[in-house]
Amino acid sequence: MPIIRADSLVKEFRRPKRVPGRFGAVRTLLTRQYTVTRAVDGVGFDIDAGELVGYLGPNGAGKSTTIKMLTGILVPTSGAVEVSGVVPWRDRERNARHIGVVFGQRSGLWWDLPLIDSLHLAATLYDVRPADLRAHLARFTDLLGLDEFLTTPVRQLSLGQRMRGDLAAAMLHRPDVLYLDEPTIGLDVVARDRIRAFVADLNRAAGTTVVLTTHDLDDVEALCRRIILIDHGRVLYDGDVATLKARHAPHRELVVHLAEPGPVEIADAEPVAATDGRVTLRFDPARVSSADLIGRVLARHRVTDLSIVEPDLERVVAGIYADRTA
Amino acid sequence: MRRYLALARMQARVVLAYRIDYLNGLIGLLLQVFLLAVVWRTVYGERDSVDGVPLATMLAYVTLASVQGWLFNPWVFTLIPDRVREGRVGIDLVRPVGFVSQVVAAQVGRTAATAPFALAALPFAVLLSGMAPPASPLAAVGYLVSLALGYAVTTVLSVVFGLMTFWTMEIGGIFIIYRMVAQFLSGALIPLWFMPGALRTVAQVLPFQAVTYTPTAIYLGRLDAGAAVLATGVQCGWVLVLALLARLVWSRALHRVVVQGG
Repeated sequence: MPIIRADSLVKEFRRPKRVPGRFGAVRTLLTRQYTVTRAVDGVGFDIDAGELVGYLGPNGAGKSTTIKMLTGILVPTSGAVEVSGVVPWRDRERNARHIGVVFGQRSGLWWDLPLIDSLHLAATLYDVRPADLRAHLARFTDLLGLDEFLTTPVRQLSLGQRMRGDLAAAMLHRPDVLYLDEPTIGLDVVARDRIRAFVADLNRAAGTTVVLTTHDLDDVEALCRRIILIDHGRVLYDGDVATLKARHAPHRELVVHLAEPGPVEIADAEPVAATDGRVTLRFDPARVSSADLIGRVLARHRVTDLSIVEPDLERVVAGIYADRTA
Repeated sequence: MRRYLALARMQARVVLAYRIDYLNGLIGLLLQVFLLAVVWRTVYGERDSVDGVPLATMLAYVTLASVQGWLFNPWVFTLIPDRVREGRVGIDLVRPVGFVSQVVAAQVGRTAATAPFALAALPFAVLLSGMAPPASPLAAVGYLVSLALGYAVTTVLSVVFGLMTFWTMEIGGIFIIYRMVAQFLSGALIPLWFMPGALRTVAQVLPFQAVTYTPTAIYLGRLDAGAAVLATGVQCGWVLVLALLARLVWSRALHRVVVQGG
């Protein structure tokens, strides 16, 4: 039984049509014509409890709009959405009780007050029992390293600190579902790792269902088993990361450093680059295993070093988007 | 209730985090009271009363109207436009408390944080203006009741107007006009009894007079017991009607939510 169901979700935004020419601004103000943009165009998926799903796409693909419909902020133009049996936009407050939301670009914390005040407010709003609050707070403080800035006003926190504070506030009531909308945007490596570790731990230890939108594919490779790829408001791919790579980037590369530079000719492998004795061979693991291929190379050449390059998700995804726009 | 109180307390803390700003406001308020007193003294000149209104009554009226106006913080008026324009409304909508309730709780929090300053200002205001005391102990009680109702009216009004932001996005211009009209018709600048007939009728059928004029007139005994009860009844009526209107507007605004800025 899926915890999140989205079916043919559509969201259209309407804005008045700009009238060009003389007094355009005034005429725009009076015009009755609208341009309609479809930010989300028939998106559908089911997510089971305990899944950690990466929802990705380039800027303007409709990621955030989908998340805003899942969280009940936006009312879909058409289509159906249900989270734990609740229609989020129709029953916002009930929905809010069992979800946590973090927006990377926007804080849910109280800007002018110390972080701890926001955490206490969250505890009150979600009716977290004092004993639970103490326990969760101690745990989150430990995992996210909050102790050094708990009493600092939020406006004085660094982006990474603020983000960690936001995560803690969103998780204090132990929601079943956590939505993360670009949580690592603009963060340094340390803060990013900390947040990833925290999310992975929540998912593993508490079984929290996580939906993560991002265009940082490192986040996805580090955290997600399943990804949903969208562009122009439509789902391009929905499945696991390995299958996506196998389908869209079946080739791997063997990089060989030769003791004596020269041409390399091996069956089932195509040389794609060669510089100063460093030769890159592309091969299809379905036709020849890497062990076999290495054996063949070593039988014919004196080799000082070799390595196998896996396709990275980034290149796979860039390839898919490029194919689509072409 | 606990949750609304917590929200109000947060907003009060925000206000108190900027104490200096409020002290500045307080000085501005006292200056305003002082200048109004000077002006009305000059207007009255040698006369003890104009149109049957003694000077002390007039001074009490303008002083109370100023202090009340400050207490009801009309310059912030509503927190909705800012939240919509900056897209923070998205965050409000994923809290387990209704959006309108959050806005109202926040406004009450602001006023609660301001109230001690207003109370502290009152003796100085009395001193500066030479205003009249309440007409009777009963009038004083009636004033407090009516003041609370006036606050309810202005709060619900601000919600209704604030929600317009969901349609217009930018509300600054409309707002300035609205505030001018509302302030005038509430009797904050000139008491209703000095307004010419037609204007007075207009003011009387609109909700704004229930904010400033009604409590102040009760304080001064300008309304006798029967009229005072009727006037507070009218205030209750406005609270009810406006609350229903706010509910209707919100149920429509809900479908128009757009979160600006990604």
